[in-house]
Amino acid sequence: MRLLRFIGFTLLEYLRSGRVAIEIIAVLVTYAIFLRRPMDAEYFFSVTGVFTPVLTLYTMASLIGLGDRPQGYLLLARGLGRAAYLLGLFAAACTIVAGSYGLLCLIVAALNRPFDLDLAGWVLGTMPLLLNIGLLAALMLMLSPLVLPTNWRLFVLGLIALAFSSNFIGGTVLEALPETVRALLRALQALLGGPLVPAFYGFQLAVTRDYSTPTAIANLLAQASLLVSLLGLAVYAFSRRDLIFSTQ
Amino acid sequence: MAVTDVIEIDELYKAYGELPVLQGLNLRVAAGEVFGLLGPNGSGKSTLIHLMLGFLRPNRGRVRLFGDSNLERARPRIGYIPERQRYHTRYTAREYLRFLGAFSGLRGAELHERVERELATVGLHEAADRSLGTFSKGMLQRLGVAQALLADPDLLLIDEPTSGLDPAGQREVIELLAAVRDRGHTVFLCTHYLQEVELLCDRVGVLAGGKIVIEATVADLRNVAGSVRIRVDRLSPEVRRRLELLAVAVSSEPQGVRINPNSAALQAAVLRTLLDAEVSILALEPLESPLEQLYRQAVYGAQRPQPEASPAPTRRPAHPDGWPVPLQSPSAPPPPPRRPGEGDTLLNELLGRSGDEDASGARQEVD
Repeated sequence: MRLLRFIGFTLLEYLRSGRVAIEIIAVLVTYAIFLRRPMDAEYFFSVTGVFTPVLTLYTMASLIGLGDRPQGYLLLARGLGRAAYLLGLFAAACTIVAGSYGLLCLIVAALNRPFDLDLAGWVLGTMPLLLNIGLLAALMLMLSPLVLPTNWRLFVLGLIALAFSSNFIGGTVLEALPETVRALLRALQALLGGPLVPAFYGFQLAVTRDYSTPTAIANLLAQASLLVSLLGLAVYAFSRRDLIFSTQ
Repeated sequence: MAVTDVIEIDELYKAYGELPVLQGLNLRVAAGEVFGLLGPNGSGKSTLIHLMLGFLRPNRGRVRLFGDSNLERARPRIGYIPERQRYHTRYTAREYLRFLGAFSGLRGAELHERVERELATVGLHEAADRSLGTFSKGMLQRLGVAQALLADPDLLLIDEPTSGLDPAGQREVIELLAAVRDRGHTVFLCTHYLQEVELLCDRVGVLAGGKIVIEATVADLRNVAGSVRIRVDRLSPEVRRRLELLAVAVSSEPQGVRINPNSAALQAAVLRTLLDAEVSILALEPLESPLEQLYRQAVYGAQRPQPEASPAPTRRPAHPDGWPVPLQSPSAPPPPPRRPGEGDTLLNELLGRSGDEDASGARQEVD
């Protein structure tokens, strides 16, 4: 109950701060530039699959900024626990991004509906897309100064860079490396890239809405599991650390 | 009946990285007591409050509130008043208090009744529907008092309540805290305004070098000032001669007597002499606040003979001549020059002192 109240408190502050204007403008601009042409569902979800993560970056950063202020001490000195504080910020960000996506969908439905998209298709495409919003928001939250100290943030970012390294370490560069290093690098890439698979496959699933194989359902579960894991790690780290809010 | 300690802190150590802030701090605050913690900026006062609230974790040592070292459990019984301007300013006062009350677990009619009661207590009823962004600093701090009182806490933790306020704002907040004090809460007040402690607290401690180096009761400090001036109607040469024969510490002028250094016995002897001579006594004015002397002694080292320090009980009796016994003298730099500044006139006025004296008129904020 306190978590819900805190989400309401945060959303109200966000609305009154005027920051939400950015989301509204982003929705209108995205519609005007990308979604006014005749389109099918695949195109619609390709656009929204990129739009929502980009919007999540902005919104989550704004919410982290709101949470990382000395005003937070006053809330945490009361019955609101650290976990509720962190989850409240996360949920508020997800609500805003999901609301913006909803607004965009309403505009599209009213003005330029994809010819092959019905309500069921929209739900099937939206599920992995919303889970991806949650995943990115949770990752940002975990990597924020609010949750992890600098050295740990750098460590996690290093792991993520390693996971993506197959995109920029390959071909002749890879061949030039000693065999053991290559083997180690491949192992690390496979190991660290694993958690990224549900996010990427989730994007693909939103675009194709192909639930004909069990893999699709498994991927939704994997996305949800990864989301819970990231949030769990963030809450754990936040509960263990000294709480020193930014005074900037 | 045994006194219950609401705050129990034992051998508390806290460092930020390599920078030690608290180094073996011990403290006890009894139920119903108003304890003032003095210390220079950066001495660790706010760190100590944040440790008590569980925002920070000690490197070593123990903090117990209400006999429980699980600070999460103690939190519903705590009211916290942060430094000024630490409020979400996009709400009206009433909205904000309703949210904060809800976070404290208040609901429905009880929440409504408490919010209205505390708005009235701090005199913000008229401004309750104004945005906090339009509030003055003094109003914001009064709001801070209101939010702390909402859940009717047993312990109030107050961090620099008048810091940065103008004299009118200081007056408002001090008067408000004086009224709150009468409700019987246990209060832990951090400040660097000496006279705030004199006005509000039962007991005072000075934090320096990461420890509480001196504790004293404010009543003890009020007993005998280190030096005083007694203002009188008129002194005849004969009376002046008799006074100056009492001790070299006594000097006189046609309309006053100074005793420096002062002691209870000498002050009594001078007053007796004046009364015997039927001289009208107009005022007895401390020339230097005993608390200020205590503070200087604690932070910058002893400036008058001290009794030998002994290892660290957390409560110590005052010295027989009214001077508190130091727990431990920190190594410290020499005192900086004293500066005139804001707030002294008001605080002296509240203390009932004239502001025209050299020492008593000087600013008693310590930086």
